[in-house]
Amino acid sequence: MAGHSDSSSSEKKSSEAMNDVLVFSAENMQNNTKVIYYSRTFMSIIGGVIAGILGFTGFMGFVFYFLVMAITSIGLIAKAKFSVHSYFDSWNRIILDGFMGGLMSFVLFWTFAYDIVHIF
Amino acid sequence: MAEDLVLDTAIRDWVLIPLSVVMVLIGILRYFVSKLMRSSQVPDPKIVKEGQVIVRARNLRAAANFIPPKSFLSRRVYFSNEENGLLFVPKGQTQNAQAQMFSDPNMAMDMMKKNLSMIIPQTLTFAWVNFFFSGFVAAKIPFPLTQRFRSMLQNGIDLSTVDVSYVSSRSWYFLNLFGLRGLFSLILGEENATDDTQRMMQMSGFGFDPSKSLGAEKDGLDIVQHEWALPKFEHRAEAVLKKLIR
Repeated sequence: MAGHSDSSSSEKKSSEAMNDVLVFSAENMQNNTKVIYYSRTFMSIIGGVIAGILGFTGFMGFVFYFLVMAITSIGLIAKAKFSVHSYFDSWNRIILDGFMGGLMSFVLFWTFAYDIVHIF
Repeated sequence: MAEDLVLDTAIRDWVLIPLSVVMVLIGILRYFVSKLMRSSQVPDPKIVKEGQVIVRARNLRAAANFIPPKSFLSRRVYFSNEENGLLFVPKGQTQNAQAQMFSDPNMAMDMMKKNLSMIIPQTLTFAWVNFFFSGFVAAKIPFPLTQRFRSMLQNGIDLSTVDVSYVSSRSWYFLNLFGLRGLFSLILGEENATDDTQRMMQMSGFGFDPSKSLGAEKDGLDIVQHEWALPKFEHRAEAVLKKLIR
């Protein structure tokens, strides 16, 4: 988990719940979203290289991608000390954001590593 | 899979890696060039004023519940007053501002420059790839695709019995094009010129900004219902201070 905490070390509290009104600090929220995006991209690249080296093909590779994304989500949630609502505005952000963008990078590095190791 | 082709190591050395390296370098080059070529626009004071008024109105709308009802109402009247309210723009004027924005030569030039700096490297690289690296199998993608992709991915290879997973270098180029976006965002920081869709949305947003959004802001402000969210703040302050003293 050291890798996760390094890249998301600058998450900031973005909301204070006063009675029933939630106030969001837009700048902090943007920073948190950026952190999530960077973490996901990084993890999908690493995951792609790992999948290629291990020789996953077809369906197994995509299952591995989902696994890597799930681990990233869990890492981010753990870093936010399980109180997601004080750092983000909704669950969807921390779980689903950056999913598709990471997929393309994953496929690229997966193809690259797979070819280098297995075909050539 | 029918057979397992064994590909020459030279392909890996001289096709895959150089192509990726070239694309990364071109991306970095484009980033720096666009940074250098960014002409500083002298902002029109009228437009800046309108923009600031919009920001103020937006803040008022967002934080409406934290100020007492009377002050919110007085602020709202200041903005949407029929005669001299800041957000009220008569119909004739709105058309003008829009037309001016579009015929402004500076804006058009900037948009052209940015679009061009995006399209030209892509076109050149694509032509280069097609010229040098066509006619052989370049890579194998690790997942199977249907037969319909064959014509798209295997354009230089004329054998129809080869598995669709074995692709030509053109598809390696496209794979790189999409996949390196993530890498660029990591190494170049926030601002990178490789995300076309984002920039196009930005560009089209600017043209309409001042004139239409004034009316939109006014409507939004009129809709807001004020709910005094801090009715008990005196009690809460007392509780917090008491805790501190203890």
